[in-house]
Amino acid sequence: MSNVTPAPVRADAPAGGQAIITIEGLNKWFGDFHVLRDINLSVNQGEVVVVIGPSGSGKSTLIRCINHLEEHQEGRIVVDGTELTDDVRNIDLVRRETGMVFQSFNLFPHLTVLENITLAPIRVRKWKRTQAEERARFFLDKVGIPEQALKYPGQLSGGQQQRVAIARALTMGPKVMLFDEPTSALDPEVIGEVLEVMVALAQEGMTMIVVTHEMGFAREVGDRVIFMDAGQIVEVGSPEHFFLAPREARTKAFLSKIL
Amino acid sequence: MFEVIPPRPAPGGVAGVGGWIRRNLFSSPANTLLTVVTGVFVVYVGLSVVLWALFDASWGQVWANQRLFAVYRYPADLLWRPMAVLAAMMALIGVMGGAGRRNEILRGLFWSLVAFVAFVTVIALLFWPSVRVLWAGVLAASLVGYAVGVARPSFVRGLPWAWVAWLFLGFFLLYGVTPGSGLLRIVPARDWGGFMLTLILFTGIVPSFPLGIALALGRRSKLPAIKYVCTGFIEIVRGAPLIMWLFVASLLLPLFLNTDPNNLPAILRAYVAITLFSAAYMAENVRGGLQAVPRGQTEAARALGLGGWQTTSLIVLPQALRAVIPAIVGQAIGLFKDTSLVFIVGLADFFRVTEIVANQPASLQVTGGVKLELYLYVALIYFFFAYRMSIASRQLEKQLGVGTR
Repeated sequence: MSNVTPAPVRADAPAGGQAIITIEGLNKWFGDFHVLRDINLSVNQGEVVVVIGPSGSGKSTLIRCINHLEEHQEGRIVVDGTELTDDVRNIDLVRRETGMVFQSFNLFPHLTVLENITLAPIRVRKWKRTQAEERARFFLDKVGIPEQALKYPGQLSGGQQQRVAIARALTMGPKVMLFDEPTSALDPEVIGEVLEVMVALAQEGMTMIVVTHEMGFAREVGDRVIFMDAGQIVEVGSPEHFFLAPREARTKAFLSKIL
Repeated sequence: MFEVIPPRPAPGGVAGVGGWIRRNLFSSPANTLLTVVTGVFVVYVGLSVVLWALFDASWGQVWANQRLFAVYRYPADLLWRPMAVLAAMMALIGVMGGAGRRNEILRGLFWSLVAFVAFVTVIALLFWPSVRVLWAGVLAASLVGYAVGVARPSFVRGLPWAWVAWLFLGFFLLYGVTPGSGLLRIVPARDWGGFMLTLILFTGIVPSFPLGIALALGRRSKLPAIKYVCTGFIEIVRGAPLIMWLFVASLLLPLFLNTDPNNLPAILRAYVAITLFSAAYMAENVRGGLQAVPRGQTEAARALGLGGWQTTSLIVLPQALRAVIPAIVGQAIGLFKDTSLVFIVGLADFFRVTEIVANQPASLQVTGGVKLELYLYVALIYFFFAYRMSIASRQLEKQLGVGTR
């Protein structure tokens, strides 16, 4: 029986919702290394999906495939009705509808906070500067740092920088937000302020895929948790399921380390 | 219970000039000995040079050949033409300095140049009746430019075009329009030379800048054709010394183009060689800066939906160039001195004029020769400009915080 490929674990969105992301049979290699194996995942509008797993398990690569920062070799990825192919127009279309927040913030150090936020709306959405700045200030207010608009990223704390990054993504008006370990590079005392913003966002109904180890966040607003290991989806369930009764031995071993 | 410990003054011999001297120069008997020996040596050499320069050197030939040093054989009655170009240049720099007078670096560079011009103007007023008015005019143009810059800072936006216009009009004014005699008669490029030629060749750094950026971006291109052409150009140009490329430009190029060498003025050929050579080095400098920009910057820009060209021009290049400005200034200083290599293809730049003057009959009659004096003079002029650029580069590094980040 060892030659038969095992059936992959499916992480389908609950029925009844409207799927905004659909991933079917996704496979990806870095050179010879098979980093993502038979991923099947769909996400409903308004859902918050938390992805956990040990480092090197492919969780970051997975969400980076969703806005095509990483190219996939096999399978389909459909975001808001647009399939990601080699067609640059499709890629740009998807990127406009997905905001991403990175572990290392990736703010543009040569631009002020306001310029960081308004750059893409002005250049990509072709908004007027006044309109873009108005929206930018609205979201800066929302993430709780309206007074930092004219500073440069280097003058802000890590937590403030990450909140600017969230505001930058939100100002584009995305339908999906991707978070790639947004709190991993932060000092412990400022993680809370970033999580607060994310929780508020989730409660407003934003569709979010969050790669994180913050199980408290998962428990508070997560609809589903996906555990990945070795490029595969190992187990899917509600946050409670993972806290109370994880099924797989790998999952138990991992959770015992982070909880 | 916690209490703040108040700061105490540093123990004796740590702070102040006395402390520094004690720690660095006289900390042990061996160091004291070294300090004394080198001190005596430095004073001895310095004193000898000063005494020689004041009493033994004969500066007559340096003084008598200032026109050769400045413009070489450019006709004396047409000196207003290069001086007008110089005046226009100083006026444009003046607008820059005036508009950016809150920028310590721009302001400093401008006033250094003005000080140099003013110094020459004073000498001209005292000793050179034929160019008195011209030098006073250059000085006046600088100050007027500065005043305009102060009054109308928005003029800087038009400056790039003004510089392009300056480049072309300046060339035509230097070269002339009509054959024969007259105010605008043609001065063949073989009569150009001296410091004027050095400055002209030095401006090759300007076109080499966009060229170098294009090459650096091309080298990182995903399209193999562009990538290999750019890489090949950079590596081949950098693989041979500038002197060789000057030879290629002056001897082989007319051969390949199957044209009479006189159809392509030697200065133009040298200019192109210097520009391309400089562009190859510029490309490598810029590439270093491009590599210093973290990948996350590109990813963040792309994730926001910015296109490839927008990402490069708005996010990557500004950061890359900022990181390599000191390297680029260093390259400019190097190029400024490397222009002296054009003597090898028969051009009489500032440096070459020393040899020419040294071989004049008048020079040969001076006991002991005048080469030392001539070279010292040329070295001082080169040093003034190169060191001034070096200071600006250091200020720039500080301003950009390159060294500290």
